[in-house]
Amino acid sequence: MTFNPLEHRGIPLDRQLRDWRELAVEPVDPDRGDPYTRCRIITMNGIEIEAMLFSHHFARHCPDLDVKRTLARVRYIEAQQQKAVNWLLPGASSVLETTISYEQVAVDLTAWIARMEPDPYLTQAYQFGVLEDFDHLYRYANLYEMIEHRKAEEIVDQLTEVMPGRPTPLHHRDPVDNVREPYDRRGANPLSKLHALTVMAAEQQTMNFYLNVGPTYMEPIARQLYQEIGMIEEEHVTHYESLIDPGETWWEQLVHHEYNECYLYHSFIEQESDARVRAIWELHLNMELEHLRLACDLMRRHDGRDPAEVLAPELPNVLTFEPNKQYLRELIATQLDLTTLGTGYVREAHERFERMQQALNSDGMPPSDQVLDAHREMFGREYRLQTEGEHPVPALREN
Amino acid sequence: MTQTAQAARTAFQDDVVALLTRQHGDIRNLFDEVERATGQDRRTALRQLVRLLAVHETAEQEVVHPFARRLFEGADEVVRERLAEEEGAKETLARLDGMDPGSPEFLPTLRALRADVMHHARAEERYEFREIRRYAEPGALAPLAQAVRAAEAMAPTRPHPGVQGAPANLLTGPVAALMDRTRDAVRKAMGREG
Ligand SMILES: [Fe+2]
Ligand SMILES: [Fe+2]
Ligand SMILES: [Fe+2]
Ligand SMILES: [Fe+2]
Ligand SMILES: [Fe+2]
Repeated sequence: MTFNPLEHRGIPLDRQLRDWRELAVEPVDPDRGDPYTRCRIITMNGIEIEAMLFSHHFARHCPDLDVKRTLARVRYIEAQQQKAVNWLLPGASSVLETTISYEQVAVDLTAWIARMEPDPYLTQAYQFGVLEDFDHLYRYANLYEMIEHRKAEEIVDQLTEVMPGRPTPLHHRDPVDNVREPYDRRGANPLSKLHALTVMAAEQQTMNFYLNVGPTYMEPIARQLYQEIGMIEEEHVTHYESLIDPGETWWEQLVHHEYNECYLYHSFIEQESDARVRAIWELHLNMELEHLRLACDLMRRHDGRDPAEVLAPELPNVLTFEPNKQYLRELIATQLDLTTLGTGYVREAHERFERMQQALNSDGMPPSDQVLDAHREMFGREYRLQTEGEHPVPALREN
Repeated sequence: MTQTAQAARTAFQDDVVALLTRQHGDIRNLFDEVERATGQDRRTALRQLVRLLAVHETAEQEVVHPFARRLFEGADEVVRERLAEEEGAKETLARLDGMDPGSPEFLPTLRALRADVMHHARAEERYEFREIRRYAEPGALAPLAQAVRAAEAMAPTRPHPGVQGAPANLLTGPVAALMDRTRDAVRKAMGREG
């Protein structure tokens, strides 16, 4: 189905405000909901938070009071959207359960985008990053079974495998090596711009989530694991945000943000299994169409350019949450030993990488390894969920 | 084993809060099992669930709630709310226990109970257990853990480290009698007479 958001009218802005009753959404079932419904909620929460934060930054750089007022009006609605979306998560879920869903998002969202990305340099960036969040899922799943006696398969279902990826202790690179080269805004496929924005927003929210909830744990091992993985999410935000061309003007970036929100709500309407949640996606799409129209107006007026020049003529293929098991297994088999050097990738542990590793990991075991150690000690095994057979790398099979 | 792993292990085995939090997980696992099983298997799983819930709640009422009451300001309120939730769950549990697992009202009742029990467990973890960890003297939690383990032995779920299996005859018989026996076992472990 083709859909051009520039050709549709949404809900007028002054009719988008919701009262408290409308914002008091009924949460999804913590145990019986579709895991990918939870993933879509977490994704859209990250997207709405990026919409808010971007608009705040824009406002801080914007001397024109009228523009600031328009930004503030739209941003207030974005903030309500964020509340309606994130409050779909059930209060009965534990922080660790939500964390496991966050990593499931990072795995299946990034893997799908890597598969669909037309630019090979960007594809490589997603392939590189997904193997790390894949390993985070495995470490948190082990912590979860230790603390709550529950298996992560009750959360991810059989949709995403849980087993070692690139070992978490090796994710700690010199920050210099986390900076990638950006796409070129003039030549890039419009789809590439949407992909980069989506993954960056998701990783940014993951980073913020861990850095806030980590200290709510009392178990020392849990506190430490959130610290360690929280630092890696900082690296991931650096990695993904550097893919975006900084030469895009503020106006152009605003248009991309709103267009991307239209794209994602439109995508999730197509897939949503929960009718109540789908109704929210539909309402929000109709709000975003109006945000996009306003952003396009601003761009025409202040940038003197037609937004159609930088946007896709119609929405690309819908972004889809689906299992990516075989794709991930291939990546694991071929790219586990990669690290970054400058803006590229290498297989050897170069000097700058070794120095960083030495500084962080040399005095005692990193928390991500401690958690496996403690789990083995408690259960006599690790927690894994390998639905497609043994691990693709012989050295990482459980003996 | 590294030192840290050793410390983590000790903390997980001897800390009453960690133990009860894991029991909350065991209870949820049994809810899943009952829901997924059919026929005789469902009956067996339900039996286990009913017993573990009875034993878990008894141990909390005997050991944890009184301890919390003495420990922190506002505990009376918190415990009163928890007891009210436990009361409600007990009624649904009794109804469920008398129900034919194949009947049409069984699953809706089970799911409602699961939601209530989970809500109750999270409330305990957040408003009661957290305060216990915060205010209890180090070392005070180990004897409590022992008492809870004595209770747990009355309704073994699946074997896990540190827990002795109970004789098979404990797995049948009325819930009220089991609660009495659990209370006795807990009081004995706490050094009080039943
Ligand atoms: Fe939005
Ligand atoms: Fe991650
Ligand atoms: Fe990440
Ligand atoms: Fe928007
Ligand atoms: Fe409890």
